[in-house]
Order: sequence, then structure tokens, then C-alpha cells
Amino acid sequence: MAIPVLAEIVETKDLVQTVVFAFVAGVGVTLIFSVAIWGAARFTDLTLEERRVAAVAAAGVAGLALLAVAAAVVIGVIVMTSK
Amino acid sequence: MSSDVILVLVIGAALAFDFTNGFHDTANVVATSISTGAARPQVAIAAASLLNFAGAFISITVAATVANDVVDAAVITPTIVFAGLIGAIAWNLVTWYFGLPSSSSHALIGGVVGSAVAASGFQVVIAEGLLGKVLIPAVIAPLLAFVSAGASIGLAYRVVGRQRPGIVSRGFKYGQVVSGGMLALAHGTNDAQKTMGVITLALIANGSLAAGADPPTWVIAASALAIAGGTYSGGWRIIKTTGTRIIKMDAAQGFTSQGAGAAVILASTHFGFPLSTTHVINGGVMGAGAAKRLSAVRWGVARNIVVAWVLTLPAAALIGAVVYGVTNLFGSGAVGPVVVTVGALAAIGAAFARRAQRGAPVTVQSG
Repeated sequence: MAIPVLAEIVETKDLVQTVVFAFVAGVGVTLIFSVAIWGAARFTDLTLEERRVAAVAAAGVAGLALLAVAAAVVIGVIVMTSK
Repeated sequence: MSSDVILVLVIGAALAFDFTNGFHDTANVVATSISTGAARPQVAIAAASLLNFAGAFISITVAATVANDVVDAAVITPTIVFAGLIGAIAWNLVTWYFGLPSSSSHALIGGVVGSAVAASGFQVVIAEGLLGKVLIPAVIAPLLAFVSAGASIGLAYRVVGRQRPGIVSRGFKYGQVVSGGMLALAHGTNDAQKTMGVITLALIANGSLAAGADPPTWVIAASALAIAGGTYSGGWRIIKTTGTRIIKMDAAQGFTSQGAGAAVILASTHFGFPLSTTHVINGGVMGAGAAKRLSAVRWGVARNIVVAWVLTLPAAALIGAVVYGVTNLFGSGAVGPVVVTVGALAAIGAAFARRAQRGAPVTVQSG
């Protein structure tokens, strides 16, 4: 009967939520920030190649990704202070 | 009167512990930013100190866990809390002296559990709380940071791998300003709360607060100041261990290890799990290194760190129990804690003098 006892002791729901939130936040923010850097790098290259429309699109991707990262950070802090 | 003297000593010891926690632990928070060149050391440490202070105010869930869910507050006395704190401080200083990143948090919990068991037996320990809220999260958190940082760096390299290295490196260095800041905030909120929890436990034991009460505002402010002061004051030796001796990191690895660490600590804090920032950030650093190249991680150093982690709880518990025994030799009044405080201050002074005499710090061989 060790497993039910352990399941009772461990707050499984909180632990699973911690794992899921932490993983999604950690990996998600890195992925989105990487997209922002990709956008910035492409913007530089496309500008040098004088492909202005594509460069503006890359800058837009970078900007949106940066906004998403900022939003994730703000939401994270709000969630922290809400309990 | 006697119990008030002990309470004052407990609060002093708790704040001293908080200071050593900042001194000992927070260096890990800034190590990656410094080693990748994302921030100058003084700037990184000052920012971490300020964010530690701010972080201490954003949550009290971990303080509640420490005050109510680890040992039975009904049978705890201020002397027990005092002995536990001295055990934790002693272990922190031993690991600082040898340059080992251990866990201040687990030292604190180990110290309090050890002194409580020495005073009242094993029945005083709340097994569900200790296992479910401390020990199991303690094992899961660094592994989670390891996996999360490993997955993150893999994805990051996939996305930016074909771009110019200069732009990519600069971008991640800017990103480290935010990820390092979040990690410092996370450290402040999780670690300062342990001190708040211990002071609250002592206040409850002294009858100054009702059982289950939240930490008073002055406790939160004092804990925030102590950890921020400790952060600003030191930790250079452990910066070296974490920042350069585990792996040689690039900016992307620094960003992912800090981001993964911050996410794990903040999520855990939200659910009231008292974690070690040191465990988590080192897990993240190793994950970011191992995902790029297994041989990039200096596993000998990593092994020494793991050994220190494993030793922390039992070692601090043992010291806490011994300190309680010594305190008890002088009866139940304030004499024992006063004698132990004087002895502890003398030992700390001797350790610092010895370190100053030697000049270069003792280093841990990577084996």
C-alpha cells in the first residue's frame, strides 16, 4: 500500500501544475525570444540586401515576439502576486 | 523576560542567516550573466540585490509552508528555532569556506528539523509536509530545470543557428538582463520567505502570534533587507564555481539556464514549495551545457556539487541537534542561547580571519 500513501502525502496536483507551468514558461519564453532574435538578424541581413518589404516583415516578427516575451514576464509576476 | 531575550536572539540569528543566504546563494543568480559578459559584476550584483529585495514582497506562500507544514508549531520553542538556525548558519559557512554551492534553504529546514527532533523526538516532524513540500520538490526542481534548459537551448539553436553569431550573441546578452533579473526576483521571493517563515514560527512559539498567522509586515521588510544586503556583500567564490567551472557558457546558454531556473522557482513559489535557488540554477546550467555537448559539462565539479546537496539536510540537522543539546546544558532560560551566540560569533570571526590570512580561497578540486 506504499503507492496510495505516497500519493496522499504528495500534493500531486500542485506538483504536476508546477512542472507543467515551469516547463511551458521556460521553454516557451526561450522559443519566442529566439524568434525575436531571428527576426532582428533577418532584418539586418534583408536591409543590407535592400529587400525592404521582407525586412519590415522580419522586424514585425521580432517586435511581436518581444511583446509576447514582455507579456509573459508581466503575467508571470501578476500570477505570483495573486495568491 | 527570558523568552523575550531568546526571541530577540532568534530574530537576530534568522536575519543573520538571511544575510548569509544572500551572501552564499545569490552569487549563483548572477554567475551566468557575469561569465557570458552580459553584465559587469558590480552592476549584476547591485541589480540582483535590488530585485531580491523586491521579490521578498511578492508572496508569502513559502513562509506559510516553513512556519506551519514542516514541524509541529505547537511543540516548538524559540530555543529550538534558535538551535536550528545556528545549525543552518554553520553549514552555510562551512560550504562557503570550501567554495561549495550547497542549499541554504535545505540547511535551514534541516537545522530546524534536527533541533526539533533533538528536543521532542521524531513525532514533532510533519512527515507529509517535509516529504511532499520539501524533499520531493527538492529532487524534482533541479531535474526540471535541467530538462527545461536542455530543451530550451536545443530549440534556440534550431531557430537562430543559421544567423550571424554576433547578432545572436548580442541578442541573448540583452535577454540575460531580463532573465537574470527574473532569476534574482525569484530568488528573493523564495529564499527570503524561508527566513520570514522561521521568524513567524518563533513568534508563534513565543505566543506573540496566533498559530497559522501570516508573517507581519516588519518581518517581511527585515527579511528583504537582510537578503538584499547579503547579496550585495559577497559570493565571489561561488560565482567562479557556477559560472565557469561547470561549463563554459555562451550567451544563449546563459539566457536559457536563467530563464528555466526563474520559471521553476517562480512556479514552485506560487504553490508554496521552498526550493534552493542554487540547486535549480545549477540544474539549469548543466542542462544548457549537456544539451550542446555532454563533454562540455565538467562532471567532476557537478559531482562535488551533488554531494554537497545530498549532505546539506542531514549535516545541518545534525549540527542543529548538537547545538540544541549544548543550549540545553544551560537549562531552559536565555543563558544557553547567549553562550551559543557568543561561541558562534567567535567561530565566524576566526573563519573570516583565517580566510583573510590565507589570501587566495580554498578551491574544490574537480576530480
